[in-house]
Amino acid sequence: MIRVISDEAYKELEAAVGPDNVSRLPVVLDSYAFQPFENHESMPWCPSPVAVALPSTTEEVSEVIKACNRHGLKHKAFSTGWGMWCGPTTDNVVQIDLRRMNQIVEIDEKNQFAIVEPYVCGAQLQAEAMKVGLNTHIIGAGPNTSPLASATSMYGVGHDGIYMSYSARNVLGLEWVQPTGEVLRLGSPGSDKGWFSGDGPGPSLRGTMRGYTGALGGMGVFTKVALKLFNWPGPPQVKSSGTVVDLTSEIPENIGLYMCFFPNADKLADAYYDIGEAEIGYNSLKVATPAFMMVLAPHLFKKLKDTKNLSRMLGKTMGHLFLMLLAGTSKEDLAHQERVLEAIVDEHDGFILDQKNIPPLKSNFMMNFIRATLPALVFRIGGSFSTALGRNDSLDSQVTWGEAIADIKRGYASKGQIIDDMGDNPYFVPYESNMFAHCEVVYPYDHRNPRHLEGSNNITMDFIIGAVELCMEAGFGTLPPARKILSPLTSNYNYWQKKFSEAFDPDQGSDKGLYTDETEFDFSEIAPERVAKLERLVKERTWTELGPPE
Amino acid sequence: MSHKTVDLDGFKQVVGPDNVSTQESELESFRSAGMASRGSPVAIVKPTEMSELRDIIILARQTGANLVFSSSAPPRFRGDSIPSEDGVIVDLSGMDEITRLDRRNKVAYIEPGVTFSHLIEAADKVGLKVLMPLLPRAGKSVLACFLEREPITIPKYHWDMTDPLLCTEMVFGTGDLFRTGTAGSPGTIEQQIDAGLAHKNPLGPGTTDFLRIVQGSQGTLAGVTWATIKLEVKPSVHKIYFVPDIKLERLIEFTYRALRPRLGDEWLILNSRALATLIGETSAAVEELAGRQAPWTLVYGVSGYRYLPEERMALQEKDLGKIAQAAGVVPVSEVPGCPAKKMERILASPSPEPYYKTVPKGAFTDIFFLATLDEVSTLIAVMEKACEHHGYPTSELGAYIQPIQQGRTAHVEFALSYDPADEAESKKVAELADSASRALDAAGAFFSRPYGAWSDIAYRNCPDTVEALKKVKRVMDPDNVLNRGKLCYGEEVV
Amino acid sequence: MALEDYRRDIEGCSRCSSCKWVPYNQIKSWRFSKNCPSIYRHNFHTYSGSGRMVIGLSLLEGRVELDETVAEIIYKCQLCGACDSACKTYRDDIDISEVLLELRAYCVEQGELLIEHMAMIDALKREGNTLGEPKAQRGDWAEGLDVKDVNAETCDVLFHAGCRYSYDRDARQTARGHVQLMRSAGMGVGIAGKEESCCGGRAYELGYRGEAANYADDVLSLVKSSGAKTLVTACADCYSHFQYVYPKMGKELPVEILHVSQVTEKLLDSGKLRFRRKLPLSVTYHDPCHLGRKGEPFAGVWKGDKLDRPMNLKRSGRKGVYDAPRNVIDEIPGLELTEMERIREYAWCCGAGGGVLEAFEDFSASTTAERIAEALATGAEALVTSCPWCLRVFKDAVEETSACIAVYDLTDLALMSAGIAQPAAV
Repeated sequence: MIRVISDEAYKELEAAVGPDNVSRLPVVLDSYAFQPFENHESMPWCPSPVAVALPSTTEEVSEVIKACNRHGLKHKAFSTGWGMWCGPTTDNVVQIDLRRMNQIVEIDEKNQFAIVEPYVCGAQLQAEAMKVGLNTHIIGAGPNTSPLASATSMYGVGHDGIYMSYSARNVLGLEWVQPTGEVLRLGSPGSDKGWFSGDGPGPSLRGTMRGYTGALGGMGVFTKVALKLFNWPGPPQVKSSGTVVDLTSEIPENIGLYMCFFPNADKLADAYYDIGEAEIGYNSLKVATPAFMMVLAPHLFKKLKDTKNLSRMLGKTMGHLFLMLLAGTSKEDLAHQERVLEAIVDEHDGFILDQKNIPPLKSNFMMNFIRATLPALVFRIGGSFSTALGRNDSLDSQVTWGEAIADIKRGYASKGQIIDDMGDNPYFVPYESNMFAHCEVVYPYDHRNPRHLEGSNNITMDFIIGAVELCMEAGFGTLPPARKILSPLTSNYNYWQKKFSEAFDPDQGSDKGLYTDETEFDFSEIAPERVAKLERLVKERTWTELGPPE
Repeated sequence: MSHKTVDLDGFKQVVGPDNVSTQESELESFRSAGMASRGSPVAIVKPTEMSELRDIIILARQTGANLVFSSSAPPRFRGDSIPSEDGVIVDLSGMDEITRLDRRNKVAYIEPGVTFSHLIEAADKVGLKVLMPLLPRAGKSVLACFLEREPITIPKYHWDMTDPLLCTEMVFGTGDLFRTGTAGSPGTIEQQIDAGLAHKNPLGPGTTDFLRIVQGSQGTLAGVTWATIKLEVKPSVHKIYFVPDIKLERLIEFTYRALRPRLGDEWLILNSRALATLIGETSAAVEELAGRQAPWTLVYGVSGYRYLPEERMALQEKDLGKIAQAAGVVPVSEVPGCPAKKMERILASPSPEPYYKTVPKGAFTDIFFLATLDEVSTLIAVMEKACEHHGYPTSELGAYIQPIQQGRTAHVEFALSYDPADEAESKKVAELADSASRALDAAGAFFSRPYGAWSDIAYRNCPDTVEALKKVKRVMDPDNVLNRGKLCYGEEVV
Repeated sequence: MALEDYRRDIEGCSRCSSCKWVPYNQIKSWRFSKNCPSIYRHNFHTYSGSGRMVIGLSLLEGRVELDETVAEIIYKCQLCGACDSACKTYRDDIDISEVLLELRAYCVEQGELLIEHMAMIDALKREGNTLGEPKAQRGDWAEGLDVKDVNAETCDVLFHAGCRYSYDRDARQTARGHVQLMRSAGMGVGIAGKEESCCGGRAYELGYRGEAANYADDVLSLVKSSGAKTLVTACADCYSHFQYVYPKMGKELPVEILHVSQVTEKLLDSGKLRFRRKLPLSVTYHDPCHLGRKGEPFAGVWKGDKLDRPMNLKRSGRKGVYDAPRNVIDEIPGLELTEMERIREYAWCCGAGGGVLEAFEDFSASTTAERIAEALATGAEALVTSCPWCLRVFKDAVEETSACIAVYDLTDLALMSAGIAQPAAV
């Protein structure tokens, strides 16, 4: 483990952020090298940084980066630091912890956006936005995450997507410290015209900073972003007691939560399409019924899951379910939306359970749903989870993806390599009134269990094979071995990412491990027939110099 | 460069001799666009498929030709397809198929030459509607329109600046093909469709977002050979309302309150002149109607869809009624010369010929930019002051305010009509347009689509953006063969 | 247990940072959304609950050696339990608080000691209290009180004053008040006076488990000999240690253990205490860590995989004493309670605990200042609490900064309203 930084370089970091805000103590560095989540290869450690710097302003970020560049050090920034993608991927990296950049700079209530710094978390932003009748998109990982980080550097899926879209599409003006240390503002702030637009003049440079995914720290540091806010027709503060499982909230009369069950996936999909066209819905999430039991009552779940009848009931009878939160402008509007929902569900042979049947739906689930605090309960059963991120597109394609991945999952569960959660366990979200949709299939596991760790490493690549089969790019194209496989099949996107990286980061100062690196993967633990299939598909689908195979 | 020095044989080999033209009658429409008149087109080359486009670009890299993309029929107004220096027009209008229309996923696959009329007709057959800008030219390419980030008239469907464009296939200035969004997924497009993809996700692949980069680039970075475009469901019931008022501020307040909970469909504000131009069929009619309108009129639509449509519409009308009352405005169902049904037709159609803005006086110049709604009144005052200074009657100034991004931003557009045969007037309007643009810029207008002289104004404000764009240009068009002289790349790009 | 026994807890951490935040559904503003004083001040991740657990792993794996610097980081923590409580809104298998305590014991074992803590332990050994006050004066606070001396006779209710109440110049009056309140309701209260033993809780928290065990034995012996069926304490620290640490050490007290706020509530419910006097005062209530989330009683140890641990053995902080003080406030006529944003098991620490007040004054003061700011933000005229340590630091902070807020012990207000003591000007 190499973690040496020259005194000269360290002094420059001190000068940049103040001596109290930089450290090279091994004990401090280890707290940044500890990255167990989604770390399938070297759990729980990632390469240690050589120093940690905590800037408090954009200027300090710039100075830190310039100091790193002068001394041949790489830099890797994070907002909250959750997930192995936040840590260094190689040696000789200065970790930039953006914790001290924690301001909500402004909430422009009339024009519905907020300007935030990296360490503002979703819960903070939502709490402040609600005071002025607005709301923010919060990703499924939870309200402890940074909306800035999600929007600029990562993915952006949340079950409010039906109303509040995907993080990448919520970006307005932006401030970006380039890998050279120069500060660039995109869109209207770059021209000193306010923060309302992130595009132009002319081409939009938002296209260089992220696409479906972000660069995960591989292209400098984002220090401010203007993010869209959305209408919140509820009270300025939802009065609640309790925290998550014991939460009880007072919910206004113009908001309702409904569990909609269908006999099969096709009917559920049809219903979602109709809901999209009816333009109702504030939050919505397709989940697996066993997942509820698993997260809310994990011990009971473990005891009962092998029970045949229960399995049949949860898996089949109640197996196709989505939650739908409706928010009306008034009680009357909610009643209308309810009637529309009922008509749609009825037409597709489904049935609804709502707060009249299950009171906790309103008093407990509703605020948990709105603040996205429920999904992280998936940690309870095993201590960790991972996911098969697909590639967002039509809702039908996501249904197909979910079913295909569930099959792969079952194989690993039957071998005891992940925890059997009785189902597909999707986190399935329609965006923008079903303009497009998302499905990731979640699987729980215990990352302290070496067998699970091995399984989670292999299953990820097995999902990639499934993705290629289904003509999907797969969200985990951020991983170096996945990128190596996927890029030649998908417009050689990594070639162009590298070109941009060379143009914007001539000294290659940003830690690019999760942005452009490509590595080999050892397929020896994956079923040979699947590997053979992948080889065949790769051969068929690789782009040549002339373009895609036709 | 003239056609004597352009390697026309090379282009003929690529597209076939019948698809290369040096006919003056065809070149003429590429010599000027409104007031933009520089350089000259030396030939028109018409590819009919992507591989030809790619070969054209490769050839241009070898010969140093300047390529300017076009896919719309004339007349041209913006100037982006007028070469800034001698150039070869790459006319993609011959690629004009709607290759697929997917009702369930509300998406159309279109080539560059598809016009609004063509698409409207096809969409209508399956119960879908096209998200329209305000009265686009009859010959305007749908794809080109949205590559230029032309705003649509229904703010609630405008989630991001790339909307309604989704996935694309494009050829960079390097000659490389790239497919954006889920079109860039593994497999052929057909295989992807068989797997259930509908090319609805515009992002990616990976960290790339070339659609966003190429949009607004005026063809300086890539040529697009097809795209998917999102459509929406045709309402089963639909009504248009007008809100005439003497005070713009009240209409803006009404707009803020209504768009926040996504009430309404079509939503736009016009001054008397702009409204009259929209609805008047002759110059005299425009003059007469302008005199009878309120200074400002907001036009909005409400709809019902498949489930409980009347109930939905009634609720929207009720909510909007309450908001209108709070804002101190009164919706009505017609304005002088325009009942609701007429406006409904106008909003759902391209412009009749001749282009509607030429009706009052024969020619016009637009000034448009982005701002937030709360800044619009200030910017209008700046424009009016500029008009007064230049002796242009403000009664002839058209003003169109289009909320976009669900009301977070506004596209503000001024139209200055003039008689092109009147040299003095033409000169006055040209000077007014220039000085007003500068004054608007100084007052906070964001010229996000910097056509012609606006590029100087816009890029002067953001030197860092210019440097970054040059980097992008070096990656995507290192030999500077695409629309040389446009935007901000300068000479040192190559 | 040894540090190695917590390896699975540590490795189970996913670094989600929930240990740094108020449970998310209870975040009501940007300003008062943080829950960990240590990382709030020091910012590096290593100062969080998760970060300190990583120290444990680094030590176990030999990546880092225990030295003065590492020990200082370990000790710069009030052990307020907020991280543990927040983590447990999501996780069932990680006991951050236990890891933090184990780290301290490890430091002491390895001889990495803070001078200030050593002074506290010396004082404890010498004078029977960590404040260094003379043992002989421990019982002086009760002079003249009508109360039994359990050294001479038995009683039904043994009142344990605790070190802070016994010696603190302001708190001593309130200590008398606690007894007066109980006596006014006819309770047969006894005290040990100068023979009262320190509960040993501070020693335990500083990592001196041997000393803590000794004092636990003393208390156990006294309780048994007193004949009491109920042990009442007014000190939140003592309450927590009696309820949780003692059984954990295998020294469970064979009596019912109550905090004085619970006693007051019971007396009100039974009609034996009545509040007659109106106290027109807007107040806000501070939940002491040791009465609240750390006041949750010991329920037992689970020896297997904590993923299978029954919920009743998972210490979440929800079962602390939160309602009793609020019910008492509710009963006092004229008092108007406005809650701070961070309350109950997610309350912000007063800053005094874990040896921080003694060893890291500035850090303690800044933690207190944050709580005062939160109290001021409610607009309340007074900050009320039920712990002498919290009271001490709040009073000092208010005096030093001239903050416009009074500070009261709940018992003082109860006495005023019950007419047992002369009311102060409110």
